[in-house]
Amino acid sequence: MTTARQVRLTVNGVAYEAQVEPRTTLVDFLRGDLGLTGTHVGCEHGVCGACTILVNGRSVRSCLMLAVQADGDSLTTVEGLGDGKLHPIQEAFREEHGLQCGFCTPGFLMATYELLQLNRSPSDEEIKDALGGQICRCTGYQAILSSVRLAAAKLRE
Amino acid sequence: MKPPPFDYLDPRTVGEAVSLLRQHDGEAKILAGGQSLMPLLNMRMARPGVLIDLAKVAELDYIRETDGGLTIGAMTTKRSIEDSVLVQKRQPLLHAATLLIAHPQIRNRGTLGGSMAHADPAAEYPAVAIALDAEFRVVGPDGERSIGAADFFVTYLTTALEPTEVLTEVRFPALADRRGWSFMELTRRHGDFALAGVAVTMDLEGPGQCSGARIVLFGVGPTAFRVHGAEQILIGDRPGQAVFEQVAKKASEEIDEPLSDLHASAEYRRHLARVLTQRALLQATARAQV
Amino acid sequence: MAVEIPKALSDLPVSSPRWIGRSVMRVEDPLLLSGRAEFIDNVVLPRMLHCAILRSPYAHARIRGIDLGEAESLQGVVAIVTGEDAQRWTQPGPTLPENWGTLCLATDKVRFVGEPVAAVAATSRYVAEDALEHIQVEYESLPPVADPVKALEPESPLIFEEHGSNVMLQRVFKYGEIDAAFRDADHVYTEKFRWHRVGANPLETFGVISQWDPIEESLTCHGSFQSASHMALGRTLTLGLPSNKVRLISQPHGGSFGGKGGARGTDISALLSRKAGGRPVKWIEDRMEYLMAGGSQAWDRHYEASLALKRDGTAIGLKVKLLDDLGATAEGYGAMSAAKPLASFTGCYAIPAAEYDLTIVATNKLPASPYRGMGPPPHNYVLEHLMDIAARDLGLDPAEIRRRNYIPPDRFPYTIPTGNEYDSGNYEAALNKALEMSEYKELREEQAQARKQGRLLGIGLVSTIEPGVFDWNAYAIVGMPGTGVPEGVRVGIDVLGKITLRVGFALEGQGQYTVGAQLLADYFGVELDDVRVVAQDTQSAPPHFGPGGSRLGVAMSAAVLGAAGRLKDKLVKVAAGLLQSKPEDVELMDGMLRVKGVPGAEMPVAQVAATMLTRSDLLPPDVDPSPEATYVWTAPGRTPADEQGRAKTYLTAANACHVVLLEIDPETGFVKILKYFIADDCGTRLNPSNVEGMIQGGVAQGVGAALLEEYVYDEEAQLLTSTFMDYLLPTINEVPMTEKAALVTPSPFTPLGAKGVGEGAIHTTPAAIMCAINDALAPLGVRATEVPASPNRIWSLLREAKRTP
Repeated sequence: MTTARQVRLTVNGVAYEAQVEPRTTLVDFLRGDLGLTGTHVGCEHGVCGACTILVNGRSVRSCLMLAVQADGDSLTTVEGLGDGKLHPIQEAFREEHGLQCGFCTPGFLMATYELLQLNRSPSDEEIKDALGGQICRCTGYQAILSSVRLAAAKLRE
Repeated sequence: MKPPPFDYLDPRTVGEAVSLLRQHDGEAKILAGGQSLMPLLNMRMARPGVLIDLAKVAELDYIRETDGGLTIGAMTTKRSIEDSVLVQKRQPLLHAATLLIAHPQIRNRGTLGGSMAHADPAAEYPAVAIALDAEFRVVGPDGERSIGAADFFVTYLTTALEPTEVLTEVRFPALADRRGWSFMELTRRHGDFALAGVAVTMDLEGPGQCSGARIVLFGVGPTAFRVHGAEQILIGDRPGQAVFEQVAKKASEEIDEPLSDLHASAEYRRHLARVLTQRALLQATARAQV
Repeated sequence: MAVEIPKALSDLPVSSPRWIGRSVMRVEDPLLLSGRAEFIDNVVLPRMLHCAILRSPYAHARIRGIDLGEAESLQGVVAIVTGEDAQRWTQPGPTLPENWGTLCLATDKVRFVGEPVAAVAATSRYVAEDALEHIQVEYESLPPVADPVKALEPESPLIFEEHGSNVMLQRVFKYGEIDAAFRDADHVYTEKFRWHRVGANPLETFGVISQWDPIEESLTCHGSFQSASHMALGRTLTLGLPSNKVRLISQPHGGSFGGKGGARGTDISALLSRKAGGRPVKWIEDRMEYLMAGGSQAWDRHYEASLALKRDGTAIGLKVKLLDDLGATAEGYGAMSAAKPLASFTGCYAIPAAEYDLTIVATNKLPASPYRGMGPPPHNYVLEHLMDIAARDLGLDPAEIRRRNYIPPDRFPYTIPTGNEYDSGNYEAALNKALEMSEYKELREEQAQARKQGRLLGIGLVSTIEPGVFDWNAYAIVGMPGTGVPEGVRVGIDVLGKITLRVGFALEGQGQYTVGAQLLADYFGVELDDVRVVAQDTQSAPPHFGPGGSRLGVAMSAAVLGAAGRLKDKLVKVAAGLLQSKPEDVELMDGMLRVKGVPGAEMPVAQVAATMLTRSDLLPPDVDPSPEATYVWTAPGRTPADEQGRAKTYLTAANACHVVLLEIDPETGFVKILKYFIADDCGTRLNPSNVEGMIQGGVAQGVGAALLEEYVYDEEAQLLTSTFMDYLLPTINEVPMTEKAALVTPSPFTPLGAKGVGEGAIHTTPAAIMCAINDALAPLGVRATEVPASPNRIWSLLREAKRTP
């Protein structure tokens, strides 16, 4: 067997320390070892975006990272959005009907979060470019676009 | 789709990385951004005994101005390149190519060095490197060496890197004045791998004659490559519709055996290469004349 | 006790509905947005094991032997099953058509790449996959059948030797005077079409945790089941269990679209649990498994179709010949998609005669599954393209030829030649609305100008029926038995006045919990938050089916209103006693039980309910002390289909008219959608934003089907599109944002006049895009008849056009 490694990281402001096998993917670590099941697995080859989280504030595919690579990093997952109540981005998605089955939604929320941190007033083109790597099979994206527009407006207030 | 077992090492220096590669003699693979390697691991199509992660190696993440050109560390993320004002100003071709790579989540982790070393036939960066005559700094057990872009990309997913060598940086020389450029690709969806793509640089002199040109095709053959014959038609001539048609036709003919897959037949790729070359030449000329 | 289900919003016991008919925010959203919904992979049970499945690399081969090698002794491996265990413990499951199936694990031969051959239960999925690598299977490869046309030839290798041929079904169905129609027609247009395999691909693949109880010999499964009751019934048959010893719990799941699959996975994990002494075994299908071997593929079709018309453009006959490549077995129920086209065979048009020449054939590809739309999406494309071909030849605008052929609004309910009845519709109104929204005249002018510049601008204008509320009789021609699809719910008011709605289905995305809450909140005059919707497992739920065939909005609302009505009758009886009146003088209105015409003589619903639970002395003798009622609804008037498959099948007929403007790059063949307009009539909209979501979701899948999505097999029946790198789902950049208009022609048959709309625009968008592409190419004299219209295919047509003078 391969040598387990110690990993120390912060997720949503909480410090964790664990022993992991090197081959454990970050998404499996989050879901399995840490019980943070809000991040979902859709393809395990980096295309669908369901597993998107923030690592040091940047959106990444957690299925394309190993847990050991996140040693020393600060992660944000959907559980870290909002503080016991819905974050304005989540509220915006609710108001605009930007979700149906909800499986892709955490990934969209995290990608949107990053976008709006970097760009307070994104154009539709910029929104589409930022979210082009997130696949939704239910909504047809129109309500997601209006959700992100509303989220930007809410955050600008 | 879970990876097979492997050991994981995270050296702190390039020297350490090189010596680990030698120590594990063919069983080890470098992990850079992981955006190409991880899918292969998840599918169990890659089975290294050891992964050597370069993330903690000091000083491989930088963008520096050097003699008017840019030198970029191998572990610099594509996102850093995208966000760099320096790159936008000094190497706009590299910048434009970066914007077309996949999606933000991939660019946030994917690295310059990883992309070059992986050498996917449809990748953007190898084409940029060849178009700009980049130099690759490589470190191995016997020391450092420099490989020119023209020699770096050997064939499908294969570079001139020895198994015990690490790519540490890529140097993009200064651009000439009145250099026009264009970078274009055709994809079925926004951010997909290119069905065909082209990188063009063009130097105009005096009354508007083309004094130099590079036309690099990618996505159509085992690696990105220059179409020298097509370039020759252009050099010495004045840019214009008729010349571009000729050049584009020649460029498409210089593809030995276009890739063929379920997204595009060989013939179709050859045709797309021609169309893109023509369009890119027009755009490069417009930029050179500004 | 007969209960009247309200036929219109005005029949509800509320003077001004606050909830129903409005785009209220969904009650299910906070759970989903915060990532707390319990999708199956979130569920962890004590001592749970993880399953990985070993699959055949061959499309067609005999299994000579299986050597488990070191797999069993690998640390963490607890149980392994093979075809031997399947033979010992299972039966073949039901298939459609009958008798074209196998066991969950291959025994003597494999028939498609990815067919399960063995499975491992271990302490983690990682270890289970390691174990698979130690299992050696000896295969003797057989010649694969990859071409459905070749599969029909007498010398073809046989998928099931015992059947003597690869033909699962071959029949010609004739309706009306079809031969006379074609004989007497002034014009007959014939064309061949090829529609390649596409499929559901919900973001969440199938998942299940099976737990076998060795003492009770019972099975409990948690899973992402679209229809838990249906899946449970299948398990009683395959695993040979008494039907009351199979309990399935459906988790909220990440979409389904008909193509979740899961029968084999549930059986395999059940066998592993049995072998592991009753430990729960979880199997999460990974994406590659889904694409290759899941409920992922549908509609692999070769069409030849003809339209017969009179001189004036009136269509008098439609013939459709379909060769449907169903794949290696009929276990996926993909054959339903070959039958459903009968429900709207002649579309929006008053075509009096039809013929359906249907062949369903087996090959060594993945068994096809249902996919949203269930067959009409390709069929509608064929019909609409034929209408355009006719229009072009007759010099008619596509709008005009349709106008001349629509079933007029005063002819409803209208029975089409294939037997189904359309409830109501006003197709011309939808057309006019679409023409107005799209500024159609200006679009044609824009196109004319563009053509002068050599640009290939295309306009697609199509009208379709989107059938809703299916019945089993719709699939009679492929062997589906029975009539009636029940949907049962239980409504209860507790002692503090809160309402609970118990349903038999879990969250899937359509927003049905919200609709249920909206109905009850208005019915009993409470806040939306006062209603809670709870899913019940198969052991507790009343008879139900759940989502599918665009039925749930109607079926659930009917059941909810039925239960509410029964509950109201009880409340009225109790209130009458309390208010010293008679039941016939007491009514429910705006949350109050009140004596008609006597102001002030009233009591809130909550008070009456509480009295029922706490003051048994005050109850009339014929009322049980329970403010609860159950109601199971099924569509009225469904009868078995006749020999030709004729019956009233789908209860409602929604209608859509789409207009799309697109441009084809003449150098590359790439298509860019520029504008997209939808006029949609699905009757009363119980929650308009839910409806728009269904429509737009259907548009996205329609765009995918028309331009991007295709499963590709090579001549060895090996799947080439094995990942999302090759099977291309549309992203936000490929799907047009559409302009939508709603028309409302209520259904006379459903509660509140709503029609099924869950499958939405997937019925229509592929036709719209393909017709627009053909409109763009028409001046060049070439036709795009292969779907998806990939850039390579369009370029080939453009090249062909250049060669032909």
